[in-house]
Amino acid sequence: MSPASTETRNAQTRLLDPSVLASMSNLELVAKAVVEGFVNGLHRSPKFGFSQEFVEYREYSDGDDPRYIDWNVFSRTDRTYIKRFMGETNSHLMLLLDTSASMGFGSGSTSKLQYGKYLAASLAYLSSRQHDAIGVMLFDDDVVDYRPPASKVGSLQGVIHTLDKAEASMGTDINKPMNRFREHVKKRGLVAVISDFYCDAEELLENIRPLAMHGQDVIMFHLLDADELDPKIKQSTLYEDMETGQAIEVEPTYMAKAYREKIQNHIKNIEEAANGIRADHVLINTADPLDKALHNYLTFREKRG
Amino acid sequence: MALLGPLFLLGLLGIGLPIWLHRLETQVTEREQFSTAMFLEPARKRIHVQRKLKYLLLMALRILFFLFLVLAFARPVLFSPPQALVTEDTTHHVIVLDTSFSMQAGDSFTTAVQRAQDIINGLGADEVASLYTASSGITTVATAAADGAILNQALSGLAPDNGKLDLGTMVTSMNTLIESSQANFVLHFISDFQQTGQAVRFADMIPDVINGRPVLLELERVQTDNLANWAVDSVLVSNRNAVEAGIRGFVSNDDSSARTITLSINNMLQQEQQVTLNGGGLSFINFDNVVFEEGDNRVDIRLIPNDALAGDDIRHTVFDNSPPAPVLLLTENPQSLGVTYISAALETAPRGYEVITQTLADLDARVLQRYPWIVIEDIGAINVSLATAITDYISGGGAVLAAVGESSLGLDSVPVMNLAVGSNPIRRENRNPITMIDNSHPALSETSGWGSVNMQTLPVSLNGGERVLIAQADNRPVLLESNIGRGRLMLLTTALDNTLSDLPVKPVFVSFMAEAARYLSNENLLVREQVAESFLQLSLAGGSSGQVYDPDGVSLLSLSDTTQAQDIPLNKTGYYQVFYSGGEVLVAVNPDQRESDLTIMDAQVLQNWQNVVAGTANTGEQALNSESGVADEDLEENEIWRIFLILLALIVIAESLLGNQHLRVRTGTL
Repeated sequence: MSPASTETRNAQTRLLDPSVLASMSNLELVAKAVVEGFVNGLHRSPKFGFSQEFVEYREYSDGDDPRYIDWNVFSRTDRTYIKRFMGETNSHLMLLLDTSASMGFGSGSTSKLQYGKYLAASLAYLSSRQHDAIGVMLFDDDVVDYRPPASKVGSLQGVIHTLDKAEASMGTDINKPMNRFREHVKKRGLVAVISDFYCDAEELLENIRPLAMHGQDVIMFHLLDADELDPKIKQSTLYEDMETGQAIEVEPTYMAKAYREKIQNHIKNIEEAANGIRADHVLINTADPLDKALHNYLTFREKRG
Repeated sequence: MALLGPLFLLGLLGIGLPIWLHRLETQVTEREQFSTAMFLEPARKRIHVQRKLKYLLLMALRILFFLFLVLAFARPVLFSPPQALVTEDTTHHVIVLDTSFSMQAGDSFTTAVQRAQDIINGLGADEVASLYTASSGITTVATAAADGAILNQALSGLAPDNGKLDLGTMVTSMNTLIESSQANFVLHFISDFQQTGQAVRFADMIPDVINGRPVLLELERVQTDNLANWAVDSVLVSNRNAVEAGIRGFVSNDDSSARTITLSINNMLQQEQQVTLNGGGLSFINFDNVVFEEGDNRVDIRLIPNDALAGDDIRHTVFDNSPPAPVLLLTENPQSLGVTYISAALETAPRGYEVITQTLADLDARVLQRYPWIVIEDIGAINVSLATAITDYISGGGAVLAAVGESSLGLDSVPVMNLAVGSNPIRRENRNPITMIDNSHPALSETSGWGSVNMQTLPVSLNGGERVLIAQADNRPVLLESNIGRGRLMLLTTALDNTLSDLPVKPVFVSFMAEAARYLSNENLLVREQVAESFLQLSLAGGSSGQVYDPDGVSLLSLSDTTQAQDIPLNKTGYYQVFYSGGEVLVAVNPDQRESDLTIMDAQVLQNWQNVVAGTANTGEQALNSESGVADEDLEENEIWRIFLILLALIVIAESLLGNQHLRVRTGTL
């Protein structure tokens, strides 16, 4: 590899770093930078559906993006056909982003919510490239905002706008939002749940299970901050729960051992719950670049495709 | 410094410094936000609570540091009950030493001191003594003490003064001074017990039963026999060239004494006479052809050799040999009876006045300005132009004493004063007495005998600006004063020729004219001869400022005191020099003449006195048995700034230790 191409590669990877993304105020730009950087890194691997190899024509129907009409065919036949390429899935992607107060936690430059927004926007952009219909739902202890899946022009911007105005508040109650979500989603598709999953694993299982049974393919992005995974305190500290305001003084020894055991057990329980309903569970440290999450997503799509 | 002093309050603001600093610190919250408390467990020890308590303790220490610092500088005083030197079982010997003038006689005072020492040296266990001196007033020399050395030292500095002792006043004062003590009292009065010191009322000499405590009276006589004593009793200057000295003997009629009597004028011996003073009573010695200097003269009469009481063998007198002050008397008839009365009264006044009689017809009004004050025999006799001139004269600062006469009887209004005259005519046959006198007025304060005066007065109606000084029944004015411009006018609504009033032939007339003359001529009103231990009222010198030198030439007023009127105690005998805005005067001070009588109280009287007090003491003892009175105690002042200084040092140490620990916690070195 030439030195120039190595530099380009480094620059592209750097754009996946959340601390770099935090300096970009435009979420759409973030998504574009992340996806393009990520995709370029994949060298347009057909494995993940990014090949531009033509597959077939199909007749234009309502809801299709007019940009993909083959005008040459139209001029010859006076009929509108859509070009289809390898990797196009024409699926639905529903993004469920947790905006509870705990998502506002972040020990570094990026909070979990911010990271979740980057991730959701990137997934939306990625799916948009694959002509998927994309929708979004923000929730905390209830549905905060909802945008149904669509593949029309401007649907990506709509999703990103919805994500952009998300703010962390209130507590987490996955039960109510999931019930509401099930009422709205009729078609089979992909569901990406982005949350810190500070809830009971059994309760989570009960809420996700109906989605799986309904034919939805669920991927759970489990976002945790580095300090949540590996807290380091030197002295007794008074912690205040961001959702309930409860203050608890903890000792360094507890955080070094018992806490870590508890959080790992929790992660394990969530993972087992996900496995129980054939959902994917992706644990993400918000200090890590976004490529891991995107890679997991594409792998997930590949498996389910 | 008072605890409300501005400096103290300013210092207290320093307390705000640690509060402010700690407040700044606590703005950085100790709490840290965490996403969830699902997996957290509280620490077994509430370390943050302990830390917060330590932090508050540190702040409290720093506040206390400033508080104690300020308090240490403020030198606060703690009032506490005195040490229990005197208890209910203590015998308190109250030694009262007579230091009045008579104690200078012979070895009276030496004997008195010896008696006091005997009492002090004889103090036993549970016995304390306090020491007082008694003269014109009571002075505390030493409060209750069991240490004889302290009392003897206090005793050694005492000496008799020039005061007059009244035993009744002394006992009353002692009741006040010792009433708050708890002990059993034994009052030791050490005195010569002069007859003249005996209280008018015998009951006044009985000490109170103090809080139900028995009081025993021990009378210590320093003299058992009457001492022979002669004293210069009076000095009278007459005709500006003769001095009459009165010598009083306080001896039996059989005693006689050959003495030389000297007359000194301004400390220069002028004359002396060899006389033999026989028996008691008053003898008069005359010195003729005495030459006085102009102004105040120091006139001293001295007896040589001195007798047992040397202090009264000399008498000081001030004679004012100023030339007679001119006073203008305006009259219709220079030969009138009124002119005679007025002239005689003024010329015999102590100050001496030269009366210049002027008929109204021949008066040139311009001469009025030459006189500080004038007399008008009959104000009804002046015409309109003269009334205007007199009004101008008064407005310019002059003073007038006017009376009414025959010419005033037909007046509708009084000239100059413009007072309306009533229709009620004066009837010569119906004279009325005086019912009201304003003794606060300087012209009347030293006069007496108005009660015997009867007069007919001109019925005048007041305008409202006049002050009525003397009045008859129904508030009919007899003497009025009115301020006109910068001057004043006094109007007698009766005549001075013995036609409407008998005032000119009454003794009060001379003193009234003398005092009115002093008042109207703005002379100082100082009494030129005063008794020792009395007070010199500087305000009477005619101004509000001045300086006073005592007989030893020591100035008695500080620079700031000279700007305000003072009452100066006259403790020494001799001549006090008073400088005031109007000039300089001398005031002669002599001992009270009653102190010269060394006749002692009868032994039986003294015994009765003791017996009566003893009877009262028994009553007091019974009262003590039936009551459990607790006396209020005087509070002693104890300065406690040293305590605050020690606390300050402790606070500094504690703050350093705690602050160090806190610092280690904050920097994570714990």
